[in-house]
Amino acid sequence: MAIMMPAADQAVLARRSEIVAALRAIVSGEGVIDSAAEMRVYESDGLTAYRQPPMVVVLPDTTEQVSLVLKYCAEQGIKVVPRGSGTSLSGGALPLEDGVLLGLGKFKRIREIDFDNRVVVTEPGVTNLAISQAVAHAGFYYAPDPSSQIACSIGGNVAENSGGVHCLKYGMTTNNVLGCEIVLMSGEILRIGGKSAENAGYDLMGVITGSEGLLGVITEITVRILQKPETARALMVGFAQVEAAGECVARIIGAGIIPGGMEMMDKPAIHAAEAFVHAGYPLDVEALLIIELDGPGVEVDELIKRVEAIAQGCGSTTCQISTSEAERNLFWAGRKAAFPAVGRISPDYLCMDGTIPRGALPKALARIRELSEKYQLGCANVFHAGDGNLHPLILYDANKPGEIERAEAFGADILRACVEFGGVLTGEHGVGIEKRDLMGDMFSEIDLNQQQRLKCAFDAQGLLNPGKVFPTLHRCAELGRMHVHAGKLAFPDLPRF
Amino acid sequence: MDTLKVRDAKDVEEVVRAAIASEQPLEIIGHGSKRGIGHVMATNAVLDVSALNAVTSYEPNELIITLQAGAPLADVLSLIDAKSQQFAFEPMNTAPLLGTPGLGTIGGMIAAGLAGPRRIKAGGARDHLLGAHAVSGFGDSFKTGGKVVKNVTGYDLCKLLAGSWGTLSVMTEVTLKVMPKPESERTLLLRGLDDAVANKAMTAALGSPFDVSGAAHLPKSAFRERAEGLGDIATQGEALTALRLEGITASAAHRAVSLREALAPFGTADIVEDAASAALWAAIRDVLPFGADGALGAWPVWRVVCPPASGAAIGRQLARETGGDVIYDWGGGLIWAAVPPKGDAQAAIVRQRAEAVGGHAMLVRATEEVRRNVDVFHPQAPGVAALGERVRVSFDPKTILNRGRLKRGEA
Repeated sequence: MAIMMPAADQAVLARRSEIVAALRAIVSGEGVIDSAAEMRVYESDGLTAYRQPPMVVVLPDTTEQVSLVLKYCAEQGIKVVPRGSGTSLSGGALPLEDGVLLGLGKFKRIREIDFDNRVVVTEPGVTNLAISQAVAHAGFYYAPDPSSQIACSIGGNVAENSGGVHCLKYGMTTNNVLGCEIVLMSGEILRIGGKSAENAGYDLMGVITGSEGLLGVITEITVRILQKPETARALMVGFAQVEAAGECVARIIGAGIIPGGMEMMDKPAIHAAEAFVHAGYPLDVEALLIIELDGPGVEVDELIKRVEAIAQGCGSTTCQISTSEAERNLFWAGRKAAFPAVGRISPDYLCMDGTIPRGALPKALARIRELSEKYQLGCANVFHAGDGNLHPLILYDANKPGEIERAEAFGADILRACVEFGGVLTGEHGVGIEKRDLMGDMFSEIDLNQQQRLKCAFDAQGLLNPGKVFPTLHRCAELGRMHVHAGKLAFPDLPRF
Repeated sequence: MDTLKVRDAKDVEEVVRAAIASEQPLEIIGHGSKRGIGHVMATNAVLDVSALNAVTSYEPNELIITLQAGAPLADVLSLIDAKSQQFAFEPMNTAPLLGTPGLGTIGGMIAAGLAGPRRIKAGGARDHLLGAHAVSGFGDSFKTGGKVVKNVTGYDLCKLLAGSWGTLSVMTEVTLKVMPKPESERTLLLRGLDDAVANKAMTAALGSPFDVSGAAHLPKSAFRERAEGLGDIATQGEALTALRLEGITASAAHRAVSLREALAPFGTADIVEDAASAALWAAIRDVLPFGADGALGAWPVWRVVCPPASGAAIGRQLARETGGDVIYDWGGGLIWAAVPPKGDAQAAIVRQRAEAVGGHAMLVRATEEVRRNVDVFHPQAPGVAALGERVRVSFDPKTILNRGRLKRGEA
């Protein structure tokens, strides 16, 4: 366990029963959970290597209750960790020993479907997929589609700015959310944006999205919905070298084609997936691309031809083109099951999530191979090739002493390499606790201070989800202090007009 | 008043730090093309970033370009156009509307965040700003975001910088997403529809699977004397509803026919192609019918953003109650309203109508005198305004940067 959480406030813990009683006065009955056995399901999220039971769990079902809980906690100096479905892969919803875990699971209602304005107004506990299902009868869907879409909540998607395989063409959560109702740590309820394309004033919705539950608790969200493309077809293309596959991706983009999805898998990932789902993946290739084109039939047919020609020009060794929905789904089945497939060949795995410039792919994979040697741990790579988002899956066995530590060190080195190659620490899973201590590899102290000042504008006491995202916490008073830079007041060298 | 022409990010830091120490606010400008938008500022010196004009890197295959903030937009558009790429949000050229020369700089484009017709499909400036280096009102150079399209590392401060009108930080270098230009475009033209029916036609088109990338309506009154910039497409005295389809040629042509069939209940659409289509959308993007040189050149112009299906209802009210003219873009979600001149630019009517449907209104063009009397930017609900102010202070506690631009009376 390399990551340390903030020290628990013993004074708060000593008042636990009083706090539970106060929360019960706000949320009655089963909405407050304080027994160790019942709280166990909340002790971790999708980053299961880290576990911590909360002080108490509260499950409000109205915005007013959320507001009262936060107001009470703010007044009492009690930390709060918000949680949606608990599918975060970066530990964003990891509880704190001295914190209230605020679950939004009871916010399960879609409040309004407005086809004329092409939006859905929903509560945050609704799953990503349920939104698409609710509008499917009219041919609409909600575009961002993280792999966990069956389970993950739309509130969590907003908190993490979730992506998915189609975000190259259709954007991430931030590009598909128009407004929200948010409760600040003070208990204040605000409405940001709505059904209009843009808000007045600063783009607060833009900065709330992806803020990992540190700025406020979202109780309602307005998302854009789109009409489903007429058709979609996929190509499955194999290459004898990773470099050739990388070149193919670059040439497709260079030719002005933005596929609906463009995924790459390396040999270990291909083998694991094929053994699991029997999708008919070629086993003698070093890299496999799945390229999906969507739109009107006439467009898809034409682009399939163009992509096929580009792939051949890059030396593809196999190329299959889907001729039916069943076949297209089969191509995807292996990719979509890549994580559980890897789970079958290794007792445990760590799923990493860095982004690199597409052109750096061969370099990045070569580095991962070196690191795999160095740490003596296997690694399978799946990759949102279109947007440079890498998901190395580091294989380890938690029962073998020292392996988890080696796996974490391996993962950290991969993410540092992503930054070194011009990329970033996380493309879609969030910083959470997982990459928190690597933030200094990408950002200077000045960069991080500016981010924390923004946090102060929303939560001056730092009570909402502390210990996530930022490696070092500063008091808002200290961050807001203006350092007058002594000395030069004039600008001696500057041309004046 | 001093104009300080900075050469690099270090200079910007130095100027801002000196301004903090002497508590002298700065006006941030590139080419000054949008200087007439916003309130009159209380600034004692001008920080001119136009010499920060380099293209740091352009990687067409990565779909990104990194530029210094003072890079001239016109040059950058030519550069990316040569690789058949574009800024998909169609940044507006404010020159015709404001009667000022030039497209301005990249920094101005982002700080203003005025997106064109494709906003309904591709998003706005905020959706294309991937990373930035900027100097805050603390006098510190910081970076946010990165140089890749997919990134969730830390708060997305880029979203705040886009549309902040230079009040949060001085951007020095930015990385923007570029997208391939469509091979071909088609525009369906329906003629003679009244605003309410046109709004329904646009709603139907945007709710179709044909991937419409522009939906605008020009009521007949929008062509007072001549149809500025609209060439042969518009006929005086006849309303025009335009729907754009872009993509590879076969696809755009196919979808144009399909959409025409789907919209048959609204009339028989003409189809115009490529150059003629592009000229029409440039005219709509830049609001040429209300251009500074045209018949309505002396009228104040409002930019009302609202839920798209409500567009016609409030657009009609605005036109009737102010005696003005309106143009609809974004399927009804953006209304440009030119209103007969009055001391307050008829703000009460415009704002009341916008708010009634959950929209907001910004006064884009007005004389300095009018801008002293009227809030240029839409006043927000108190709680949201207070949060916005705390956010601003978190970047610029001494209000050194563009003091007074967003808020009347702050100067």
